[in-house]
Amino acid sequence: MVINGVEIENTFAEAFGMRATRVIITAHSLAWAHHAARAMTGFATSVIACGCEAGIERSLEPNESPDGRPGVSVLLFAMSTKELTKQLERRVGQCVLTAPSSAVFAGIEEGEKLPLGKSLRFFGDGHQISKVIGGRRYWRVPVMDGEFIAQETTGMVKAVGGGNFLVLAESQAQALAACEAAIVAMRAVPNVIMPFPGGVVRSGSKVGSKYKALGASTNDAFCPTLRGNPGSQVPEGVEAVLEIVIDGLTAADVATAMHAGIQAAAALGAANGVRRISAGNYGGKLGQFHFKLHEVMGQ
Amino acid sequence: MTLVLTLKTQPPGRVDMSPLVPERVAGLAVKAITSVMLECGGRRISAGELFSVSGDDCSRMVIEGGSERLDRIGQDMKQGEISVRGDAGAYLGRGMRGGTVTVAGSAGAYCASGMKNGVIRIAGNAGDFLAAALPGEHRGMQGGTVLVQGNAGDRLGDRMRRGVVLVEGRCGDYCASRMGAGTIAVIGPAGSGLGFAMRRGSVILDHPADLPPTFADFGTHDLGFLRLLHGAWRSSLPGSRFAAIGDDAVRVRRFIGDLANGGKGEVLVRA
Repeated sequence: MVINGVEIENTFAEAFGMRATRVIITAHSLAWAHHAARAMTGFATSVIACGCEAGIERSLEPNESPDGRPGVSVLLFAMSTKELTKQLERRVGQCVLTAPSSAVFAGIEEGEKLPLGKSLRFFGDGHQISKVIGGRRYWRVPVMDGEFIAQETTGMVKAVGGGNFLVLAESQAQALAACEAAIVAMRAVPNVIMPFPGGVVRSGSKVGSKYKALGASTNDAFCPTLRGNPGSQVPEGVEAVLEIVIDGLTAADVATAMHAGIQAAAALGAANGVRRISAGNYGGKLGQFHFKLHEVMGQ
Repeated sequence: MTLVLTLKTQPPGRVDMSPLVPERVAGLAVKAITSVMLECGGRRISAGELFSVSGDDCSRMVIEGGSERLDRIGQDMKQGEISVRGDAGAYLGRGMRGGTVTVAGSAGAYCASGMKNGVIRIAGNAGDFLAAALPGEHRGMQGGTVLVQGNAGDRLGDRMRRGVVLVEGRCGDYCASRMGAGTIAVIGPAGSGLGFAMRRGSVILDHPADLPPTFADFGTHDLGFLRLLHGAWRSSLPGSRFAAIGDDAVRVRRFIGDLANGGKGEVLVRA
């Protein structure tokens, strides 16, 4: 399959079942909501060592947020309910509770409930106040700039993590340009995040390592400087490979984001040095979800 | 067609209307409904003696031509609607668990006492002990929403435990006495002794109140949770003065008490 001179490889991305939740952070201004959201989603690129994968889904207009203030929607993904609960509590407690003027609300109402204000309220040291408004419980915790408002719980759903595609380009600059275009298109897709810095990862990994202590190591098959090695998948003329990883609330959301991203990257075409779109998998044996690139792109 | 109970004559005594709630008359024919026995002034009479009955949709019930002698309308009701086109007696919506009761006139004492869920709208006034506990009970209202578009009597919210009571007019003395939790908002002036022995909960006032000296002034603040409250009122109580409160009306002067009681109740007076 070829789009605009860019080969779409006949392979698939392998993704995994995860647990996810969404929280809405509001604040005095969109800038302060983003400060809180960026802190909360920092160091959340990969479950390998961060505990969760998290990102900003989108900004919310005042008329879209629960308290009529500017807000940000944040998605968190983890491998288990227990880990998601822990990460949510830590990150909201350390990054949102601490952010001036912020408040936090559930972004998903259905599913199993994860504690939000339910555990953070104890910061109030007995001065916290519960309010049930419209059938939902909120906690008012006194803080130095007024009150921190936190909804008692947020909902958790089963989700999909690790959808991905690789962009193979003639130079690092051209690979970056393609990925930047892809990320712009993918950020318009709801229910997904691209958790790596700027949405893009350059250190794709394979399972295992020659060093016993490491569970994952560099994806040498896609390292251009190792092109001469047997098993290298880097074609002649390709000097940079970048990966975009997608976590979504459903497989359909991940597929939609992959389609948008690949379409945008391929739109730059061979003329801009984009040579091939591939995907990362583990032979299909580890992940429950397979996203075949040709199916995702509608062929 | 909506089930309509038209009052034929002024009841000879106080009537216990609790058997006539939607789920208890569901599936009954008009004749069976007229045979429902009601306590009236110490004796039992059939509903047919008081009301002419028509219609078949028991989930929507209209009491045409109310009376302040019709007690316990909507008591323990779980679902459906009751609309009273006139006055209602005491214990309106007592122990109510769901559904909606609207009263075009006024309601008597102990309206919404023990109420757990649902909505009561009263276009006129509410009597004393609105949302309060009965003597000997530990808890008054425990959930749901009551909107009074007229005035409320004394001891509004006595021992209230949860829920929201909104009064567009004024309220009597000792509002929120012994209140444990929940929210009361009064647009008109409040009587004396407001918050006496209050433990927790919130009272929101548009006018400064004559608070007991055991309330402390905690200063004027912007409280964000009011935005959530106002939003909920706007969507659930269209047409009321509470639905017209703007998003930015979050600045209040906060009083805490009753400190004689170790209380942490708050009285918020709009600044």
